[in-house]
Amino acid sequence: MGVAIARGWQGYWAAVRLGWAISSNWTRPLLFIVYSVLRPISMALILAVMYAVITHNSAAARPYLAFLIIGTAFWSFIQEGVSEFATGILEDRGRYHVLKYTYLAPLDFPIFLVGRATSKLASASASVVIVLVVGTFALGLPINALAIDYPLLVVACLLAFVAIMAFSVTLSMVLLAGRDSHGYGEIMAQFLYLFSGAIFPISLLPGPLAWLAALSPLGYWLELCRRAILHGRVYEMFPQLSDGEVLGRLVLAVAGTLVLGYFTYLISDRMARRRGYIDMESNW
Amino acid sequence: MAGTSPSSNSSRPAVETRQLGRVYKSRKDVVVALQGVDLSVNQGELFGVLGPNGAGKTTLIKILVTLLLPSSGQAWVDGLDVVTDYRALRHRISMVSGGENAGYGLLRVREQLWLFSQLYGMSSSAARSRIDELLERLGLAEVANRKITGLSSGMRQKMSLVRGLMTDPRVIFLDEPTVALDVGAARDVRTEVRRWMREDPTRTVILTTHYMQEADELCDRVAIVNRGEVIAHGTPQALKQQVDEDVIVDLQLEPGRPLLDALRAVEGVGAASAREEDGIDRFSLLLADDAVLPRVLSTVEGSGRRVTGLIRRQPTLEDAFVKLVGRSLHEEDSAENGA
Repeated sequence: MGVAIARGWQGYWAAVRLGWAISSNWTRPLLFIVYSVLRPISMALILAVMYAVITHNSAAARPYLAFLIIGTAFWSFIQEGVSEFATGILEDRGRYHVLKYTYLAPLDFPIFLVGRATSKLASASASVVIVLVVGTFALGLPINALAIDYPLLVVACLLAFVAIMAFSVTLSMVLLAGRDSHGYGEIMAQFLYLFSGAIFPISLLPGPLAWLAALSPLGYWLELCRRAILHGRVYEMFPQLSDGEVLGRLVLAVAGTLVLGYFTYLISDRMARRRGYIDMESNW
Repeated sequence: MAGTSPSSNSSRPAVETRQLGRVYKSRKDVVVALQGVDLSVNQGELFGVLGPNGAGKTTLIKILVTLLLPSSGQAWVDGLDVVTDYRALRHRISMVSGGENAGYGLLRVREQLWLFSQLYGMSSSAARSRIDELLERLGLAEVANRKITGLSSGMRQKMSLVRGLMTDPRVIFLDEPTVALDVGAARDVRTEVRRWMREDPTRTVILTTHYMQEADELCDRVAIVNRGEVIAHGTPQALKQQVDEDVIVDLQLEPGRPLLDALRAVEGVGAASAREEDGIDRFSLLLADDAVLPRVLSTVEGSGRRVTGLIRRQPTLEDAFVKLVGRSLHEEDSAENGA
């Protein structure tokens, strides 16, 4: 058991190094840094401008600006994580032609995928900090780094990472078992964007969709992030729930996501081998 | 014991299949890629799988390496069921396919190999030393720090072989490992495969190849696959004996009208194959006896084509293949296909 864990860890770190090499080597280092910084800032500023136009910067709407900026900042974890998993499958299959070899290696394939996408989550962390700093100094959000409830933030983020990995592994395995899979990563990310409460409360969704969104862990996670950073000074999606109750729902939703992801993984893995799609040729 | 080869450990075959079959279904088509394949490959054997394109060789290999599920039958590799024990099996096998540009182009050769060693759970230091040893043997030491995008296709293919060998699998599957390699590189690959097997006599190689001479030279036994079925298997020598009593003639003709079907129709011609080399059409004919030759020459003359060479020679594995399959491995790739 110990040996298996050590080997899993070893394979994971090798995949992390691979992911970093691939995600940071597509251009010159300076351009990479500029891209990594400008992209999240642009995204946040676009939303801030939209907010300002719609609310006329009214003081009453300030908690919603905080809701929007924090949601957007943390959204990058989902965007980067989900899309990198999908890209990993597509690149390894169509561009590098190594998918069958990484799949056939004894390391569990999901561990390889998680490792390959980890570097993107690391760069997403940087993007969160950048957006929050810009939100504080350029948009006047009342964020005080010393007043943040770090334990709550860390616990919520760790749970959310597990859920994001489960979502992403599920998506990757579906791609593995599919013939035409370009664009699925972005579709999934945009789908989750709607249901996560990143830019508007999930209660605004039509009835059945709101119910569906309430099953997802992402809304609870973003709610806890907002509360941990700006408790009482940010719009709350679940005002009737205490922090502990939101955390409890997050734990349940993450557990459900894991179970769903595990079964999807088993089914997709078998389907891919039954159809013979793992080593198929695809255009890149 | 469920999922385990029925043979005892000591006599356990490296690869065993029973009535193995695979059908590909689509909305329009049902293609039988493999049917009723029974094979047993001993530990320590270098076993060749020969067959024309589309015969089912790659499907067989894909099932044995756990990339593809069979539609029927069972298969075991190193005693493990390829369907139920696939996770355990992946620790014991590896696969190398020729003719593909596999590799993370932005990594250096050594980095790429080290990455795979980690996915196989090798210790980093053992992996580095094994990688250096194999790179040296295959003449790649000088490019160890070069990015993969900068390698020739031959170098990439050799690097893939290093990847396959470095983890010391119990059974390695080599799918056309020398295809498109120049003569020297192909020789290096064959030499390394032999040396790797000598290092541990229980190691097993399953090789598919288009090159009959390579199969004849390397393989302890071969199976000939055609239309999804194993139509013959045995040592190259035993297979060659199937054409021992035939008269084998090579004819060289100047290019002209298609002639292959006409030659096959001559009474006493057991099999015929053709290929084009350097602008000359070369036919290999298996004749029942010497008396058939005049009829063959008469058919050639009647077609208006001119004979530029005629040799009677000893049988080869390719002759046995042509007799069993009805055409040569090169035929479908050759411009002379109906020559």
